[in-house]
Amino acid sequence: MFGNSVLQLNDSVYKLNKIDSIQFETLKFYVSAIEFWNNSAPVWIEPNSFHLMDASDSNTLKLAFKVPSDMIYAEIKFKLGIDSLTNVSGAIGGDLDPIKGMYWTWQSGYVNFKLEGKSNLCRSRKHEFQFHLGGYTHPYNSLQTISLLTSNLQDVSIKFDLKTFLSDVDLENKPSVMSPNKDALILSNQLGKLFKIKE
Amino acid sequence: MNWRRNVSVCLLFICVSAFVTSKDGLFNIPLNWPKPNYNFSKNPLTKDKIDLGRALFYDPILSQNNTISCSSCHSQFTAFAHVDHALSHGIYDRIGTRNAPVLINLAWNKTFMWDGAINHLDMQALAPISHPDEMGESIEHVIYKLNQSKIYHHLFFKAFGDSIASGEHLLKAISQFMLTLVSANSKYDSLKRKESVFTRQEKNGYKLYKQNCASCHTEPLFTNQKFENNGLPLDLELKDFGRMKVTQNPNDSLKFKVPTLRNIEFSYPYMHDGRFKNLNAVLDHYTTGIVKSKTLALQLEQPIVLSANEKIDLISFLLTLSDKKFLFNTEFGYPKNILLSLPKD
Repeated sequence: MFGNSVLQLNDSVYKLNKIDSIQFETLKFYVSAIEFWNNSAPVWIEPNSFHLMDASDSNTLKLAFKVPSDMIYAEIKFKLGIDSLTNVSGAIGGDLDPIKGMYWTWQSGYVNFKLEGKSNLCRSRKHEFQFHLGGYTHPYNSLQTISLLTSNLQDVSIKFDLKTFLSDVDLENKPSVMSPNKDALILSNQLGKLFKIKE
Repeated sequence: MNWRRNVSVCLLFICVSAFVTSKDGLFNIPLNWPKPNYNFSKNPLTKDKIDLGRALFYDPILSQNNTISCSSCHSQFTAFAHVDHALSHGIYDRIGTRNAPVLINLAWNKTFMWDGAINHLDMQALAPISHPDEMGESIEHVIYKLNQSKIYHHLFFKAFGDSIASGEHLLKAISQFMLTLVSANSKYDSLKRKESVFTRQEKNGYKLYKQNCASCHTEPLFTNQKFENNGLPLDLELKDFGRMKVTQNPNDSLKFKVPTLRNIEFSYPYMHDGRFKNLNAVLDHYTTGIVKSKTLALQLEQPIVLSANEKIDLISFLLTLSDKKFLFNTEFGYPKNILLSLPKD
């Protein structure tokens, strides 16, 4: 989402305020460790739960789970990013394959969240911004745990608002965050708070 | 009867303790060595996977303009280091910033690269493939190129039962070949197996090694795998602060991974930037060249004192770490036979 509109990559232009313009080229992130909870206890845990969400491929944005038909849940929990154990487990296939463009080559580790685009606010070359957020080691472990209260619905929509996210980002002076560091941790912590159930 | 049973049990025990062997003999843990760090259960070795990894290791298809292979900077006859190059060169003769290390006994490594930036052997190949001064490629495009090749259709199918290459399979296969690069047949090793003896000079060198070098270059791997500042003055052009770049911790400034001493005779030039051409220069550094700084290794705070004769003895010991069987093992060389047996592209 961006404000009240559903995000479109590439040509759509968004505004944080009246004078700026923002376009998005890439939005990819990992959702992992999906769990359904009821009465403060897990009722269903997805095995081998790693999903790469890619805004350029709407199929990846919908997840279906084979859960018991009588399952009752009141809370959905998941992680934004890849846990530290998986980060040190060597080559893995599927959504975790390094060819998916979500693995740092020069320093081992998954990129948890990738957002790229351009804005007239950025002073960088071609006014581009790149946020490759990740990091699995202390003190820059950027993995986010997200818990959302919901009712026992069959279809749940979860949203997060990039407008809120970018409003807190210094696009002018820090248009690039691309390694595990303090900035990546701060931005990841902000992102983690933005996931909401879409009513 | 009882007596016979006892004997057979004894023999079995000797077999097990002498060599812990993978079921098929593709990987052996040398006598009295620690358990490898690599988790073989997630990538069990097979002959076909090792062959695929070996073909990839020697194939410049991994580089952007198909000119540089892993073996370009890691030649077998120098224990898979880059002979006579302080800093290695990649595509278009671009020069990197560090000396290509030896590739031996990698199954025991906990981290990779001089600064430990790589956390797993499987992920190591991604770095040189994508570095603009090395192979300058992307893993995505390597996979694309491999999937155009009949040879690799065949090799991937043999190895993984799937002719379509994936990043996971490519990386696991290269790991498999690298895991087989075990060097444990030097004179030093045969001495440990009580199959040979040191000369007087080597014996004295071994004593000097144990007094002065062993706390970092620890037996039997001849590295403790830690990151240390060994007192080299900073190269003002390269400005390489080593481990600190990875951890962003000032306490790691100027620290680099302690390299193995095995096959040191062939892995010159020495140090992370290849600044020393020979072992005499290395020993001169440790005896008279140490630059003191906050992060200097504790072991080097007191100067190492070696006479001219002691230096000669120490070097004679270091030469006992050369493993000719490893350097000339045909299983590790260019995979001519594997490639000849396949249909051409």
